[in-house]
Amino acid sequence: MPDPTFLDSTELVLNMGPQHPSTHGVLRVILKLDGERILGTDCVIGYLHRGVEKIAENRTYAQFNPYVDRMDYVASVSNGLGYCLAVEKLLNVEAPPRAQAVRVILTELNRIASHLVWLGTHALDIGAITPVFYCFREREEALNIFEKYCGARLTTHAFRIGGLQYETYDGFEQDVKAFCDMFPPKVDEYEELLTGNRIWVGRLTNVGVLTADECKEYGVTGPLLRAAGVKWDLRKAQPYSGYDKYDFEIPTRQNGDTYDRYIVRMQEMRQAVRIIRQAVESIPEGPIMGKVPKVIKPPVGEAYVSIEAPKGELGYYVVSDGSTQPYRVRVRPPSFVNLQALDRMVRGALVADICAVIGTLDIVLGEVDR
Amino acid sequence: MADEQKPGGSEAPLPAGGEAAGRPAKPSPPKPAAAPPKPPATMAATPWESDLARELKERFGSQIGETSTYLGQNFIVARPEAAIPILEYLKLEADFDYLVDITAVDWPKRPERFDLVYIVYSFHRNQRVRIKTQIPDGYKPETAVGVHLTANWLEREVFDMFGIEFAGHPDMRRILMPEEWQGHPLRKDYSILQQDQRWVQESLGIESGQ
Amino acid sequence: MSWGKLFRKIFLVDLFQGLSVTFRYQEPKYIVTEQYPAERPRVAERYRGAPRLNNNPENGETLCIACNLCALACPENLIVVGAERNEQTRRKELTTFTYDLSRCMFCGLCEDACPVDALELTQDFELASYTREGLIWDRQMLEEGPRPTQYKC
Repeated sequence: MPDPTFLDSTELVLNMGPQHPSTHGVLRVILKLDGERILGTDCVIGYLHRGVEKIAENRTYAQFNPYVDRMDYVASVSNGLGYCLAVEKLLNVEAPPRAQAVRVILTELNRIASHLVWLGTHALDIGAITPVFYCFREREEALNIFEKYCGARLTTHAFRIGGLQYETYDGFEQDVKAFCDMFPPKVDEYEELLTGNRIWVGRLTNVGVLTADECKEYGVTGPLLRAAGVKWDLRKAQPYSGYDKYDFEIPTRQNGDTYDRYIVRMQEMRQAVRIIRQAVESIPEGPIMGKVPKVIKPPVGEAYVSIEAPKGELGYYVVSDGSTQPYRVRVRPPSFVNLQALDRMVRGALVADICAVIGTLDIVLGEVDR
Repeated sequence: MADEQKPGGSEAPLPAGGEAAGRPAKPSPPKPAAAPPKPPATMAATPWESDLARELKERFGSQIGETSTYLGQNFIVARPEAAIPILEYLKLEADFDYLVDITAVDWPKRPERFDLVYIVYSFHRNQRVRIKTQIPDGYKPETAVGVHLTANWLEREVFDMFGIEFAGHPDMRRILMPEEWQGHPLRKDYSILQQDQRWVQESLGIESGQ
Repeated sequence: MSWGKLFRKIFLVDLFQGLSVTFRYQEPKYIVTEQYPAERPRVAERYRGAPRLNNNPENGETLCIACNLCALACPENLIVVGAERNEQTRRKELTTFTYDLSRCMFCGLCEDACPVDALELTQDFELASYTREGLIWDRQMLEEGPRPTQYKC
């Protein structure tokens, strides 16, 4: 906690409170300022703590599935994927290939949707008001596909333990292909608005620099690590759900500043379209649900499974004691661990940079607080 | 949560195969209450044979209880005082430079109540290792902040949720719950509807949140 | 200043060029605003909205067999199924069915669990009510569905 200030010092303690348009949720940051320079920050979180891990101990495995969507509510499909993969690992079953292909398609669509929210809100925080409308217009198309598939746009509950509940609807492939054809020109449109823009470049370069070593020390993963130069992606390093069948690249950059993270996420959107195109052309026929018993009772044991969520490494550590309810579910949230690095990133920067840095961390408070 | 099943831990090395072969043993004859109680189901972990396991055993000897693997995931059970030296060794000599998670599991029936779990990952080897230690209630393990800076908030959350204080932590206070909350929510004796009534009445001005 | 620039400045040429883009976008094909209460948005067929207890279309009886699977599947335990045993047919018959919509998260697990497709989440999303008790639906409300007031505009 910053020390109380006295009247003859130039330090100021400013509270960027839980209600703030730029903090992407209920995040409270206590800034210690010297004029416009930031001397230190202290994040106070927990305003959205709902006790999801405690709830998990009182629900059965299948009943807990809808709750995980509500953690990272912007990209809820990946949360469901991580949890289903963790329980499937404990049960030692694998989803059939058709289910895996559809899972990949939905997860990559969800990655695009999450990055669109990131881009829109980040640009809005910096001051560019136009991109947010364009991004949300494209997000509508992706959410329409989710709605037609599983019935909900945001808290999708799309996957079940062992596979999928719903068959793909008629017209699924056409819709997804239409999205893939429609989307890359829109990314070009965003790039035309922002990438070469003098104000954008000036506002984002050399702001919030996090080198590769610092990233590894702080445990930061996801696009922040890739922008710092470490070519690492869990989809390539430890493939899950059939990702090794698809050919895609991992975008990396060198400097580790906010502008590089912007470029990395734009490239990730393009690579996601590439994966979706490959996946939708080769969805195999077959069952959509694996051999999972009616009552899910995994043997005594534990497993840690992590996936590459749009925000970083999302991990699920599930401990089972042989009964129908999990004994402990621990969610390793990427936003929580990335938010620790906020202090290092804004030391010595100006107050205006703090909005840019919080935006580039791409945090969702539902995941930070669970 | 089944009462009669107790997990294996630092007790005798688990029998490979045997009755804990992947599912709790279900005796086939109809079982009246007079039958002898079946032994508690334990995790069907098999010993972990690799260079890393051997090096760890050589270096730390008796402080490592078992090195096992379950479902392809390797873990070691160590004594609480050895956790930080093992993390340091893994970081400096074995390239495990990324601390993924620190968490705890509460087994209230055991004398060593908490299972403190560290998960580390090595980019170079593309491997994950879990280090589990068993600590009793009231024990203060040493902080891992000196080894990995990630541990700062992760240990604060373990303290907040379980009440395990870490000695030497620069900023040991609650992170998710309000500062003045009494009680540690993720412990098993804290029921799901329980609240700190005093805090709710003072800070929110209502009788109860339920 | 040259004559061209002076002309553009006096007659506000750039302003009209910009305005022409704006007015071009007023054409109906670009307008995506939905005039809600007049036109309702069309939601997907699988949309998870208000629950409904289905009746057999031929004889109007309820399809529900009071097996209680939906109540067991619900994460929030908000379904209460009342049943009594009919002595002649030796089957359970449904008497009361209570669904607490205020805690429902519309996850669809009850719909997935029902073996006879009696409980279904429909496309109704206008579920507001003036009281908390109004959101606890009994069997009759579940079979008819919510009747939102239609506004004439």
